[in-house]
Amino acid sequence: MALLEVKNLDVRFAVRGGDLTALRGISFSLDKGERLGLVGESGAGKSVAAFSVLNLIAKPGYIAGGQILFEGKDLAAMSERELRKIRGNRIAMIFQDPMMTLNPVLTIGTQMVEAILAHRKISKKEARAIALDRLQKVQIPSPEKRLDQYPHELSGGMRQRVIIAIALLLDPEVIIADEPTTALDVTIQAEIMDLLLHLCEQENVALMLITHDLGVVSQVTQRMLVMYSGRIIEQGPTRDIIDNAQHPYTGGLISALPQMGEPGARLFQIPGSMPSLKNVPTGCPFHPRCEYATDECRQAMPDYVQAGRVDVACFEVSKRIEQEKHMQEERP
Amino acid sequence: MTTATVSRWDRFRESFFWYSFKRDKVAIASFIVLLLMVLAAVFAPMLAPADPYDLAQIDIMNSELPPAGLDGADPAFPLGTDAQGRDLLSTILYGTRVSLMIGFGAVLLQSILGVLFGLLAGYLGGKVDAVLMRIADVQLSFSTLMVAIIVGAVFKASFGNLMFGEIAIYMLIFIIGVAEWPQIARTVRASVLAEKKKEYVDAAKVMGFGTPRIMFRHILPNTLSPIFVIGTVQIANAIISEAALSFLGLGMPETQPSLGSLIKSGFDYIQSGSWWITLIPGLVLVVLVLVINLLGDWLRDVMNPRLYKG
Repeated sequence: MALLEVKNLDVRFAVRGGDLTALRGISFSLDKGERLGLVGESGAGKSVAAFSVLNLIAKPGYIAGGQILFEGKDLAAMSERELRKIRGNRIAMIFQDPMMTLNPVLTIGTQMVEAILAHRKISKKEARAIALDRLQKVQIPSPEKRLDQYPHELSGGMRQRVIIAIALLLDPEVIIADEPTTALDVTIQAEIMDLLLHLCEQENVALMLITHDLGVVSQVTQRMLVMYSGRIIEQGPTRDIIDNAQHPYTGGLISALPQMGEPGARLFQIPGSMPSLKNVPTGCPFHPRCEYATDECRQAMPDYVQAGRVDVACFEVSKRIEQEKHMQEERP
Repeated sequence: MTTATVSRWDRFRESFFWYSFKRDKVAIASFIVLLLMVLAAVFAPMLAPADPYDLAQIDIMNSELPPAGLDGADPAFPLGTDAQGRDLLSTILYGTRVSLMIGFGAVLLQSILGVLFGLLAGYLGGKVDAVLMRIADVQLSFSTLMVAIIVGAVFKASFGNLMFGEIAIYMLIFIIGVAEWPQIARTVRASVLAEKKKEYVDAAKVMGFGTPRIMFRHILPNTLSPIFVIGTVQIANAIISEAALSFLGLGMPETQPSLGSLIKSGFDYIQSGSWWITLIPGLVLVVLVLVINLLGDWLRDVMNPRLYKG
């Protein structure tokens, strides 16, 4: 059994004039110690997916259907009290902006000790020792000093280390990292990513990495899923997808990487932009931007097909697979 | 433990707060004056030459003696005496004490109510917010004086004058505190609305903290600066409200006068030439309110997040 299994998750936002669907039939699973990447443009629903895993979608959002099974128990159907025991304790989360995630008026030590004491019945002294140990693990210089410092006294990179240390405080099974390096300096990004990868391997923690950086995904994760307009459109082993993307959107994302083009040449760009939740196109939501779009794409939502070890939702891909099958049958 | 306190003191000395205080002469002067007045009020029983509450020390023959330096002054009464022969200096010291107690007490009550309701309204939102803020609106549409006059009159009628004298100070704290809580509640609500969208609140939820803990431990400390600013100004307002009520005869009884009731008691004799009974406590009241307001202005400038954050 997978550690975390999301089945057919629907998330909607109740707004004036009806519901907006933010996530549509999301299904994926995460094994113990596995690293999964969640990729997509802004507005694809990556962060909503992350928050809904903790059943923490802010109003007016709500989970309209589906299950979030963590060790077999459905988080979507759990009481707030039970959920609180899991949040931070079994599933931790790291946010994008280290400047904003720490409470500005409490010292690092206070925040860490408080987080431990919320879940464990131990003394303050023991909690402080755990906090110190985690700060050492994230390789912060002079960790004892940091405990009594306020967030504004630390640099951005150090704060993100503190946040990773806080995520590790209670030895969680899963860490959800929502664009953990986006707000950081490029030189620090790699350092923090390496640290996170190293710690996840060392502690055997499963990582759900949300990012729009395909480079990071290809280095860190074993499996990835690509989201578009609240749907997973491609899902499978990271290697397979990066080397041979099936969905035209994923292909576009990869070609848009700077290292893919000729030096000095104009970067590839997917024409148009992600549709807003208010007017999602009929059929495949990607069709207005897709060069292979047919009438079929405009009318119906494609189902998932297997292309090698990858699941893809695209009519073009399923047609190609059909053709390949025919050709193999004709050529015995 | 000593290292922690030392570092906290150092932190304070390096802070922008202390730095801007040192550079602002008005703030320093106001603070010194306020400190002296508070100390004088707190230690009134030790400093005052006479006890104005002790009827045995009062001699009616000493009534309406002018302050030192004027014709007919008695050196035993440096600021003169009032119509009952009480030493005005001692009475002012005790009166400042009463006024400050009411000012601080009322603001303490206001803050407790205001912070609690403001936090609940701002953080929980929805129906709780709507109900609490409508109550606040209704409350604000009555003037403090009107509410106080009604409540005061009811209390006075039901308890009788003697009993009323004993509970007057608590009643005034209660009336002024309850009448003014919406000011603080609105301020707190506004800052909570801004704070609760910040990521550290999401982070706290993700850590599995409960709602009360997030409200009081994480959001409240981040909304303290506006509360301090408003609270300071509200102390001055509460002292003025108390003085106004006492002047109307609905505040402190003359047997244990506040600055307001002293002014009132002297007002009856102002025509007969005993101006000092009104003027001197009046000046003390003006100075007290002025320095508190000046300190409030300075606090507002220092704690304005647009000028400085951190």
